[in-house]
Amino acid sequence: MSVNLHERVREVVATTFGVNPRVVTESTRQEDLKNWDSLGHVNLMVAIEGAFDVVLEPEDLSMLTSVPAIVTYLEAQEPPL
Amino acid sequence: MQNEAQAPEIRPEIAEVHALTSSKMSGLVGNEQGNSVNTEGVTCCSPGTSTEHEVRVVSGQPSITTRGRGRDLHGALDAASSAAMRAALPREAVLTLAEMVQLTRRLHDLDEPVGRLRIGIVHTYTSETLDPYLQFEARLQGLDADLYHAPYGVTLQEAENGSGLRKRQPDLTLLLLRWEDLHPSMASPLGSLSGHDRTGLAADLTNAALRLTQAFRNSVAGHIVLTLLPPMTGPGLGLYDPSAPNSEAAWRGNVKAALSNRLAAEIASATFLDLDEMVAEMGRRHCFDARWWYTARFPFTPEAARELARRVIAVGTVLKRPRAKVIALDADNTLWGGGVGEEGVTGIALGPDYPGNVYVAFQRRLLDYQQRGFLLAMCSKNNLADVLEVLQQHPHQILRKEHFAAMRVNWESKSANLRSLAEELNLGIDSFIFVDDSDHECLAIRQSLPEVEIIQVPSRPLEIPGCLDRVARLEILNLTAEDRRRTEMYGQERKRHQLAEAATDVAGYLRSLGMRMRIALDDRRQVPRVAQLTQKTNQFNLTTRRYTEAEIRGFVDAPDWLVAHFSLTDVFGDSGVVGVILTRQTAPSEAEIDTLLMSCRVIGRRAESAFFETVLTVLRDRGVRTVTAYFVPTAKNQLAAQFLPDHGFLRHDNGRYTRDLNLPAPEASRDLPIDVTLEGLELKKKDVREPA
Repeated sequence: MSVNLHERVREVVATTFGVNPRVVTESTRQEDLKNWDSLGHVNLMVAIEGAFDVVLEPEDLSMLTSVPAIVTYLEAQEPPL
Repeated sequence: MQNEAQAPEIRPEIAEVHALTSSKMSGLVGNEQGNSVNTEGVTCCSPGTSTEHEVRVVSGQPSITTRGRGRDLHGALDAASSAAMRAALPREAVLTLAEMVQLTRRLHDLDEPVGRLRIGIVHTYTSETLDPYLQFEARLQGLDADLYHAPYGVTLQEAENGSGLRKRQPDLTLLLLRWEDLHPSMASPLGSLSGHDRTGLAADLTNAALRLTQAFRNSVAGHIVLTLLPPMTGPGLGLYDPSAPNSEAAWRGNVKAALSNRLAAEIASATFLDLDEMVAEMGRRHCFDARWWYTARFPFTPEAARELARRVIAVGTVLKRPRAKVIALDADNTLWGGGVGEEGVTGIALGPDYPGNVYVAFQRRLLDYQQRGFLLAMCSKNNLADVLEVLQQHPHQILRKEHFAAMRVNWESKSANLRSLAEELNLGIDSFIFVDDSDHECLAIRQSLPEVEIIQVPSRPLEIPGCLDRVARLEILNLTAEDRRRTEMYGQERKRHQLAEAATDVAGYLRSLGMRMRIALDDRRQVPRVAQLTQKTNQFNLTTRRYTEAEIRGFVDAPDWLVAHFSLTDVFGDSGVVGVILTRQTAPSEAEIDTLLMSCRVIGRRAESAFFETVLTVLRDRGVRTVTAYFVPTAKNQLAAQFLPDHGFLRHDNGRYTRDLNLPAPEASRDLPIDVTLEGLELKKKDVREPA
């Protein structure tokens, strides 16, 4: 389950920032991708919401700045993804 | 939905997300290393990054689909062309951002864009986040969007020398402003102002918006689109607002009306795009998302971002794609339900009850497109008598014979019929929009006439009345008197044809028309129509030079230019303004024909000769002895190829022609059956300086 989730998150990140999916790893962080700036972050959050059908609160936005943080957040959702 | 999510308190570290806002684009497309292609703040979709697209996610690999929405986009992703993808996309599909980016890539790979649309965005709220939506909507229209965002919050400075916007000279400058930017009083409750103050504020706001737009008009050449961000909350007085003498909604409506009217009248090639219309369509709750507004100063939900992008790209599409002029409609299952051949006039679905009422509504909607200046034509496989019986006798039929500029009701192929309609109407096939319910007919046209835009009538009757509402090429940016009367003029033309067929000789027929030509020189009132003719006329056009209203206005004011146009009246009616000549006096005794064009609907009546000879007479009276002209061949203007040789011009090298005005008029210009009057001779005293 978790491997699949990792893969899907990496794919959304890669698609949103227009990079090769291989560039995005399980540990990719905001500072690793040039397009993942503050405004790119808004679109990534919009893309995550659309892809995983979740609603993020402002408090979440500033924490979801890496692939592992996003995966951990999604794993904690009820019902589990 | 997420709109219901509240943003209870904004912690400082979250607010910083916005503080990082830069002048750079958010750069959604980059190269493999994850670096955006960033030159002076512009990132654009570079066609060179093909290696990336080969590893892109296509069907077969895990696709980014939305959990629980029960659909996927494989049909669209598997499409073999962008036209096929447009057809495969679910009509009202809500796409996630990732899906949209995927589809944009796929469109990028499928075919070469038919044009590039450079958009410059001047904004006082976050706009970079709109990029993936703008790219997607542009691609859907076959355009490659090249986006530039001015530095955040900078407005007037971008109109100045050396600004990024001026350097780029976009095709479309989009001003994303807020009411509050135009006047500081907008930050306080409007209810607190006296009636007098509110009137003053309305005038100040309008003037501020016009001044700002004018500053951009003076510094960029393309089209300007002005927007005001609608209020994110209801009026200050709540439910009571419409009853209040100081109603906020009524006040805002008045300001917008005054602003858009003055914008149209005073500033060339500028449009007010009313975002309240978008809010009306989607609802405020679905338009705005407090989370992005309070954390990143981006107001919109993804759905609203896409809708805004769609509207902006529609303006760009009208500017960059060939103009649509004709809506060619199928009859059975398009104008009415069922087949009139099998079910008879009384058996078709058309009337007050479902599903007949959706067809009544669609026909009513088609009249709106006719008011926008589009011609309706019919292209149906049927017996003509059956269709005519519906048009003439069905009590609920709205579109009658006179609403159609031309009809092809027979058993020929629809592609042959579209070609023949194009010939009859004297219009290019790329100006046709084909509306048909049949998969088979749509596919056949897509293959045989790829220039024709195809709208397949939805199989779900409820979607039929609105099926043309989102066709970008059916939007218009201005409307002239000629546009509104176009169908009527084509009806007159049909009667002329009938008379011509009955006549025994051409000269006798032309005399029987009783033609009167009115030529006007340097007429400011007709600047929009003259510009429109330079933009639309393809066939009878010597040089096919396209001019904006601002450029034409410049010619009217310039002492060395002459802007002449004509309209033609005959026993059947008035043509409106249908021909233009632009000349420039290059020396006291020399002039050059920059443009000579004429709408095809007055071809064959010797109007071009009468018009041209009269304008040459004006030039001769101003001392011109030698006139130079050029024929610049295009794929479409063969019709004008013989005009110069037939009118006494001698051919030189490089398509250059000259005529000596001292010589007598050529045979083509003698015994013209047209009575000519000339206006505006005194308007501009020509004061031609010696060439430097």
